[in-house]
Amino acid sequence: MLSLFFENLRISISSVLSNKARSVLTALGVVIGILAVTLMGTLISGLDQSFEKSMEFLGKDVLYLRKFQWFGNNDWWEIRNRPDIQIKHSETIRKKSQYAKHVAPVAEWWTSVKKGDENISGVRVSGTTEEFAMITIAEVDEGRFFSSAENRSGARVAIIGKDISETLFQGKNSLGERIRIGSYNFRVIGEMEKQGKFLGMFSLDNQVIIPIGAHQRLFSRRGWTGINVKVDELDLDNATEELTALMRQIRHLRPSEKDNFAINRQDPFKEQYAMIKLAIGGTGMFITILSLVVGGIGIANIMFVSVKERTKEIGIRKAIGATSRMILFQFLMESMIICLFGGLVGLGLAYSGSLVINSFFPSEMPIGLALSALSLSMVVGIISGLAPSYKAAKLDPIDALRYE
Amino acid sequence: MSLISLKDIYKIYNVGGEEVRALDGIDLAIKENEYLAIMGPSGSGKSTLMNMVGCLDTPSSGDYEFEGEKVHKMDDNQLASIRNRKIGFVFQTFNLLPKATAQHNVEIPLVYANIRREKRLEMASESLTSVGLADRMHHKPNELSGGQRQRVAIARALVNRPSLILADEPTGNLDSKSGQEIMDIFDLLHQKGNTIVLVTHEDDIASHANRVIRLFDGKIVEDVNK
Repeated sequence: MLSLFFENLRISISSVLSNKARSVLTALGVVIGILAVTLMGTLISGLDQSFEKSMEFLGKDVLYLRKFQWFGNNDWWEIRNRPDIQIKHSETIRKKSQYAKHVAPVAEWWTSVKKGDENISGVRVSGTTEEFAMITIAEVDEGRFFSSAENRSGARVAIIGKDISETLFQGKNSLGERIRIGSYNFRVIGEMEKQGKFLGMFSLDNQVIIPIGAHQRLFSRRGWTGINVKVDELDLDNATEELTALMRQIRHLRPSEKDNFAINRQDPFKEQYAMIKLAIGGTGMFITILSLVVGGIGIANIMFVSVKERTKEIGIRKAIGATSRMILFQFLMESMIICLFGGLVGLGLAYSGSLVINSFFPSEMPIGLALSALSLSMVVGIISGLAPSYKAAKLDPIDALRYE
Repeated sequence: MSLISLKDIYKIYNVGGEEVRALDGIDLAIKENEYLAIMGPSGSGKSTLMNMVGCLDTPSSGDYEFEGEKVHKMDDNQLASIRNRKIGFVFQTFNLLPKATAQHNVEIPLVYANIRREKRLEMASESLTSVGLADRMHHKPNELSGGQRQRVAIARALVNRPSLILADEPTGNLDSKSGQEIMDIFDLLHQKGNTIVLVTHEDDIASHANRVIRLFDGKIVEDVNK
């Protein structure tokens, strides 16, 4: 049967090649289908990677006490009068909470950072305590974090992100150098490791971390303040309840009053992300199925034409000994080859597309998906080739030989 | 024992409610190494008889045995197999595949016989050489003359070393010189021991055969041995 297989392969390829324009047009539906499913897969894989990385930054075991909810219904009229989170709450939480392992207040402000002629504006300046280093996943990869003593004394020391060090120092040693944050001089004592973008939106490396005392004194209290609490991952729900109760106690809320603060975790990100992923996946699938169905109809159509055109050939082949099944396989193979060709072109285009996506965020074309896409295109070939091939196989050799 | 034996063969078509007897009780035996010409006017049933003998068609009733195999009881796959193994067809219009080279055209029956590629190429070359086309193996039909095309067709018919060569008006589309060359090949094949059945309406073609039968209205009306 192997020799028949190769003969059929040869017939199919020569038939596809001798009708190049027709084959290309016929395969277009499959090309688009495969392109859609593969690009979608690449996009999702890239988003997954980027999302996982961003979620690592948030941490599974960290509660973010903030004024507002990150997601969900922030009814402006209800929340506009919420009091700010105060730094001193962190001491109360540390004392009273059973679950909190580390507590760090974080105050943020955006300003420019300068060194000589180099100037970066819109840098996130976070003021926090030395415990922040225990909570964040990011490590200091050069120099050190500030100490508890430096924090208490409000020393003007800074740990800078990689974007800052690359722009201001261009690979040269930054440790011990002086930089200007806003209009104040700070001494660089450490650099944070490279973290990349958060969900592809803003760079986590475009930041400066300083002791919270200095932050409060120099950058006023206009920025927002929050408290990051690290707990055991297994205690996350209990800790959330406990922290809620503690805050209600601090705020003296009556049972009838709603919470006027928010405890954020990474899970709502996951829910939002799952929805986005579903939307992308759904759209991709819809386009794929639609174009494969349309493409399949086109292929069936062209195969009927091909069978009609080659009626005489079928007659000859049957006269010299081809069985109906051999003829069936010949045309099925041809239809599969058109689809395979379309699938390969689609994959080629998708690969170029994935390089484009890759330039926005790290992603790769999933090999498994690419292979299933190819198999899918073969299935389309089989399904749409079935009726025309059956028609060819059932031709009566005498009638077919007489056909002109 | 006969190579082919047809007994009381009928082929009846129903055309617009009217019964047409294309073959009306044919009894025919063909021995090995016989050189038989089937003659008759159009509509006499000679094409139907040729299709029947060539296992392209099955009788409405009657018994057909080919080397002892009961053809009238065969299904489509068995018919395809017997055509492939035992019969070599030569058609009036050559019926070569236009996009395939001479060698590939000759090779195709061997593909359906599931023979290895090297063996196939060897057999195809041998067969083409035997009809004097050793230097035209890689030409496509449109690069060959009519006589050469018919010789490719003969090479294809011979390649499986069939028990029977069946030629339907093999010189009908050729000039007299090429036609003569083709008939010379058939004569030679007969001398080498092949069994040949020719369908023709030309007396001088039929004169090559050593037995001539004439058909009229689906019946054998004359059977002459030389």
